[in-house]
Amino acid sequence: MYMATNSNGDRGQHWEAQLRKGCLEMAILASLWQSRLYGLEILRALAENSHLDVAEGTLYPILSRLKAEGLLQSEWVEAEAGHPRKYYWLTAPGRRRTREMAGAWNEFAAKLAALVQPVLVGKELGGKQR
Amino acid sequence: MTTSTPIADERIETYLRRLEAALAGVPSADKHAILREIRAHILDSAAGTPGRDAVVARVLRLLGTPEELARRYTTECMLTRASRSFSPWLLLRTCWRWATLGMKGMLTFMLALVGYGTALALTLAVFLKPFMPSRVGMWRGPRSLNIGVPAHAAGLHEVLGPWFVPVIAVAAFAVAIGTTQALRWLIRSRSPNTSYQIPRTTLESAQV
Repeated sequence: MYMATNSNGDRGQHWEAQLRKGCLEMAILASLWQSRLYGLEILRALAENSHLDVAEGTLYPILSRLKAEGLLQSEWVEAEAGHPRKYYWLTAPGRRRTREMAGAWNEFAAKLAALVQPVLVGKELGGKQR
Repeated sequence: MTTSTPIADERIETYLRRLEAALAGVPSADKHAILREIRAHILDSAAGTPGRDAVVARVLRLLGTPEELARRYTTECMLTRASRSFSPWLLLRTCWRWATLGMKGMLTFMLALVGYGTALALTLAVFLKPFMPSRVGMWRGPRSLNIGVPAHAAGLHEVLGPWFVPVIAVAAFAVAIGTTQALRWLIRSRSPNTSYQIPRTTLESAQV
């Protein structure tokens, strides 16, 4: 994880937080691509498969909005735990949107990766600079 | 099933009571769904873990205060409703709420005020015209064009005559519709997460 080690550390951390926040909606939709999940499972999927640290208090209102926008559908399912759980899945428009977002993300990330490549190489070579 | 501990249970109930109170403006069915889901989340998070009191305390901290959590729900709910609504009142209230969250919201709120303000002023002029036919009008001066009641009529002449009421009524209607459409579009095109101001403390504790 990024650690603040210099005077720009705070700004760097802020930028990273903004970046993560911006990807959140896509990540939530993508986590539902293969199966129906309930809130806690979505959180765990995001924590395992990405570095997105989503606070619970952020996830549920987003799920509620995505549902209101017709991208998700939900259903209460009785569980062994003794209380029902609310499972979410992607609707057809939700699938379309997720595919669009993933495509845009991929293109964007590939281009940026090419751009930052020299920066990373420079770092690996021990910062050979004029 | 985990054994219930009175301290944790008491905390959960207190949290949910406060959340329910904070969700006062939300339709009853939605409110109950939210409470049910948050309750399930807390119980699931704490299930099967030792030290239930500590786990519950941590989950509640990650949820944010009940008031914060409710605000995230209600702002989202309002923005979604407003983006589909034609009610100037709802649009204005929503923009006001949005204005507290950032620059774009603030500018949108100002647009809402100017747009609806203009429409209202024009409407007022239309209604006043029959009562003050010689004073209300579209007045043209050497370097100005005013609609309404001029303070000094000297040097001005009225340009619309009998057309004042229909022309200004249509203009008022057009400005109101234009403002409504612009607001709906702005609300719809807002960046998806602007209304989630994740408190710094929450972010940090989530990364532990």
